[in-house]
Amino acid sequence: MRQDDFDSILSKDEEIIPSSGFVVSVMDAVRHETEAPPPIPFPWKRALPGLSAAGFALVSVFVVGITLFIGETATQPLPAKLLSAFALIFQGWNAVGASWIVLALVLSLASVKLSRHFVSDKA
Amino acid sequence: MSAAADQAAVEKVLAGDTSAFEDIVRRWQGPLVNLAYRFCRDRDRAEEMAQEAFLRTYRSLANWRREAAFSTWLFALATNLYCSELRRIPVRTVRLDDIVEPKDGRAVDGGLEEEDQDRVVRRAVFALPPKYREALILFYFHEMDVASTARSLALPEGTVKARLSRGREMLRSKLSKQLGEPLLRKET
Repeated sequence: MRQDDFDSILSKDEEIIPSSGFVVSVMDAVRHETEAPPPIPFPWKRALPGLSAAGFALVSVFVVGITLFIGETATQPLPAKLLSAFALIFQGWNAVGASWIVLALVLSLASVKLSRHFVSDKA
Repeated sequence: MSAAADQAAVEKVLAGDTSAFEDIVRRWQGPLVNLAYRFCRDRDRAEEMAQEAFLRTYRSLANWRREAAFSTWLFALATNLYCSELRRIPVRTVRLDDIVEPKDGRAVDGGLEEEDQDRVVRRAVFALPPKYREALILFYFHEMDVASTARSLALPEGTVKARLSRGREMLRSKLSKQLGEPLLRKET
């Protein structure tokens, strides 16, 4: 089949006329959009202390872990060093209560997502 | 359709006159619904998609940069929406290999009647992978203007030409099995 054949077939597509209520329907949707309250912005001011605490905790775990690792394993061979590293990371993680922070963050994220989902469903 | 009228309506809407958007909808409802129809071949779905395109247009009017024509921006926005929408909920299509020749006793020369042939070609376009299908649909919607097609798809013209060429090649190779010999002339 030549290009001309495709051109002639695909160019002569049927034209449809929008239904008589189309403009009204679009303008209703636009007005509804205009009258709807603006979406609730994410409360960055309130979330900032929590996010800062979480960031600080993660950095602390990392720093404490590295410090302990360097201090305690300087004389050990490599595989033992790796095992010690994991143990120290775990210790550091527990020391700052990072599990609770992560749990709190996950729950916050889930509640934000859920509330946004409900809001978008209503809209 | 005047670019100045579009611009004036946009300025009014941005100044808070929501009803001025109706001018834009009236002016562009035909092209947007028809473009959607070419993508989905379903009148009701075409109107739903076009309505969503107008809503998105309304929401993002402030983002229209005046260096591009309003129509260019509008078509790019609508195309982007239609493509995503059809990737999310695709049109029911058959695979290219499964397109069978309609039985038509009137076609005695081994070829198909014109109407059947058109239908087979259109179905074959819908069975193409999305990137080739989208390029072909837009190319013919824009009356075979590669530049307009490229702007609507936000792609370089070279990429669009390559997709059109590859899309036609795929159609040609698949349809050669379906259409009769008189239509299977080698491209010169």
